[in-house]
Amino acid sequence: MQHLDSDRLVLLALSEDAANPDESVHLAACAGCREELQALHYVAELGAESGDLRALPPPPEHVWAGIQADIARVVAEPAPAAVVPVTRRAAGRRRPRWLAPVLSAAAAAVIAVAGTAVVLRGFDRPPAAEVTARATLAPLPTAPAAARGSVRVLSDGEMVVDVRNLPLTTGFHEVWLIDPDDTSKMVSLGNLSGRAEVVLPVPPGTDLNRYRLVDVSDEAHDGDAAHSGRSLLRGTLTY
Amino acid sequence: MDPGEELAERFRDGDDRALRTAYEQYGGAVLVLAQRVLGNRADAEDVTQATFVAAWMGRETFDPERGSMLAWLLGIARRKAVDRIRSAARDERISDSVRSLPPPAAPEEAPERVVDRLVVADELNRLPTEQRRTLELAFFDDLTHPQIAAVTGLPLGTVKSHIRRGMANLRRRWEVDGAASGFRSAGPSRAL
Repeated sequence: MQHLDSDRLVLLALSEDAANPDESVHLAACAGCREELQALHYVAELGAESGDLRALPPPPEHVWAGIQADIARVVAEPAPAAVVPVTRRAAGRRRPRWLAPVLSAAAAAVIAVAGTAVVLRGFDRPPAAEVTARATLAPLPTAPAAARGSVRVLSDGEMVVDVRNLPLTTGFHEVWLIDPDDTSKMVSLGNLSGRAEVVLPVPPGTDLNRYRLVDVSDEAHDGDAAHSGRSLLRGTLTY
Repeated sequence: MDPGEELAERFRDGDDRALRTAYEQYGGAVLVLAQRVLGNRADAEDVTQATFVAAWMGRETFDPERGSMLAWLLGIARRKAVDRIRSAARDERISDSVRSLPPPAAPEEAPERVVDRLVVADELNRLPTEQRRTLELAFFDDLTHPQIAAVTGLPLGTVKSHIRRGMANLRRRWEVDGAASGFRSAGPSRAL
């Protein structure tokens, strides 16, 4: 029998179908098809287990602060090799011939460190905009369980919306701020473009203590600017 | 250029915003791996910190031809975590060479498999929308091809081809990145 075609291998790997007797005989005899099937089966297993790893939050901010401090320290420290030749010279001894390459290497190291310092200048700058509020978006029953998102409101009045695993739509996804005490009151922030992360301006004067419920809805291209009523994700802003 | 390549290029060029972006995108994965290898959160955070510092200082050594940035970072994290276990074992021997050490707790899952899951999860997020969506329905909702066709309204042949291509993409990434992270030797097939 011929080798199994790729559609067939995928169906077997996803355990959607069992191998028929001819296929079983072939798989027992053909190492190539067998390995291909095993590899696809393993990848399918990994895929099925990957749900909780797809929207991992970054580590806590103190880890980031540690990274910045370590990098700043590495950059500030002079290369230790540069010290050795200086002491030898101070002792008034003739510099041995072999030291010349060491010295130029040390000089090169100093230049490399200086170069890194220039590249790293950004670490001394305060961040352009600080996060003033955050929300974690969880799926409503109408959305796939894997759907999720997060929102950061920045001090410059922008909102960074990061969404994952939203269902396909024939229309578009829209972001709203809703007053949880009167859910008929809401502000539209704009649409998601299909990219994972979108930056939307928060209209000036919006009271985020009142409009603190962030909502992502599925909207149709029907010319109706009001909320469709089909909410997918929701979360509350915290400070 | 896809967003991953663009990030890798800016990172190699020394754009410090790219370090922050890499931290936001991959820091969680690095922390998960470190925690799985080391078994405790504080050490895992230290290793995560050391990993990003080492990656930044050695950014010119990152070769996108050999694998993704995620795989490169996971490879650095693995070495840092193993170094830490070795040095902890050395301290233990010096401080108390008489007492026999209890056997180390068996890890609940091999680090290699954690890396495999992390790279497959990352690739799944990067797939073209329809490949991703059809595979999600197969993996997480356990739907068959005909059920996926019914749910999405796509023709059965289209569903098949999205799933076939999606699986091929996941498999390619798993092979390339497994080798790049230093957990496996390169090669198209291996014992599973």
